[in-house]
Amino acid sequence: MTQYQKPLPEPSSLTQPFWDGVKQHKLLVQKCSSCSKLRHTPKPLCPHCLSQEFTWAPLSGQGQLYSYTVMHRSPAPSFDGDLPYVVALVELKEGIRMISNLVHCPLDKVRVGMPVKVVYEDVTKEASIFKFAPA
Amino acid sequence: MSEALKKAAIVGVYQSVQARQLNRTPEDLYIEVVKGALQDAGLTIKDVDGIVGANPLQTEGEGRGIPGSVFAEYFGTHMRYAGQGLTATQADAMGMLHAIEAVNTGRAHTVLVATAAARSGFGVPGGDSGQGVSGDQWLSPFGLPRVGYYGIFARRHMHEYGTTSAQLARVAVNDRKHALLNPAAIMHSRGPLTVEDVVNSRMIYDPLHLFDCSPVNQGGGAIVVTTAERARSLKHRPVHVLGFAESYSAVDIFHLPTITSFDGPGGMSGKEAFAMAGVSHSDINVAQISDHFTINPIIELEDLGFCKKGEGGPFVESGAVELGGKMPMNTNGGYLSHSHAGGPGIYDIIELVRQLRGEAGARQVPNARIGLHHGVGATFISAQTAILARD
Repeated sequence: MTQYQKPLPEPSSLTQPFWDGVKQHKLLVQKCSSCSKLRHTPKPLCPHCLSQEFTWAPLSGQGQLYSYTVMHRSPAPSFDGDLPYVVALVELKEGIRMISNLVHCPLDKVRVGMPVKVVYEDVTKEASIFKFAPA
Repeated sequence: MSEALKKAAIVGVYQSVQARQLNRTPEDLYIEVVKGALQDAGLTIKDVDGIVGANPLQTEGEGRGIPGSVFAEYFGTHMRYAGQGLTATQADAMGMLHAIEAVNTGRAHTVLVATAAARSGFGVPGGDSGQGVSGDQWLSPFGLPRVGYYGIFARRHMHEYGTTSAQLARVAVNDRKHALLNPAAIMHSRGPLTVEDVVNSRMIYDPLHLFDCSPVNQGGGAIVVTTAERARSLKHRPVHVLGFAESYSAVDIFHLPTITSFDGPGGMSGKEAFAMAGVSHSDINVAQISDHFTINPIIELEDLGFCKKGEGGPFVESGAVELGGKMPMNTNGGYLSHSHAGGPGIYDIIELVRQLRGEAGARQVPNARIGLHHGVGATFISAQTAILARD
């Protein structure tokens, strides 16, 4: 197996639990202990009520394609072989939006609003990446 | 019109040669634009007691992080004020607003805003052009450079409002048409561009084609602001800033409730600037609206209320924003065809000043009295509006 060349996430102490979740094939986001609202990306306080207490809650992994771009210019040599590829802005059922790739979908089938579900790629022994595929 | 805001005036503007590659040091370019703007104003370095913006001189050696001290040491003068505009590509246009505030409040008498980008990128020390992977854990693993966000904005705008590639292309076509009339524009000698040229150019961040994207290039510019009282005895007709406002929403697009607006709830900075200036949309004779990508001015024109939300595409297609139309936009050629160097918002302000002075040559908007600048802070979700008027 050739070595994985693409950038790996570089978590901070605040974002480590999210990426640990991905490693276990879960999408975990912060849930405010005071107002119960979900938030992503991880922050030390809730933007709705400013509470600093939170727990990590799993998302369903189901959502829809809110928007996307098809990359025809690679930002780094490690992506050259994937061109053209889809970068997706996904809206999960719970209302959280995330940037990722849409995979397992021919380019001419990609549509705003299409249902998608999370898939995981264990790219190295230490790291996993979350992506989305047609649901 | 607020009399309080007429205490300050823009009295000097200057821009260096703009090119893909200048083979200049940032320091040398910065010194050129500082001297050039002062000469245009008819002032000397001894008149200057304030600066706004990062300067490349401060990147050399130890303890160089304090722009005011560095500027004072290099130019042999003394500073009373050092400020900073902080919205990426609009840093210097916003810097001009901070200069106006400093003069209005008496914190400084004469303030310079200068930018010099002799390295590819935003012209901010340590900045990059946003086209590579950034090390950002939420983008880099997926191969998205920050500028790729604009493809995502454009796709959603098309989905919600039926905006077409031909409408986007029209922004680039208009810019090129204007650049052909402006010898300072980097695309001045490239000949006209057609909608077909744009939509047939190779795809970059689908739905954005090559000619939907601004070039990466180099150049510098500077502006001098002083008191209205002092302005009366200077060379040029003063230009005042009647109204201005800023808006900050988020860093990343997944935090926004909608991605078809850049300017806060209901076009916040535009509304506030119009209210402060006491003018209406039909009073605007000429506009400079940031166009890093062709989708941007379409969204910005909507945010500003020149057309309804979703109608930016047809509005641009109607010819309203071309020279000869009711509100010519980006008469210097815009970022797409004039220059996208450093904090290119500074060229927007320089162009408006030239239009309001009546110095814009072949691209002059007849009897331009009031001009508007709107800029978005590149991929960081912020916006600003400024309304300028001749004395």
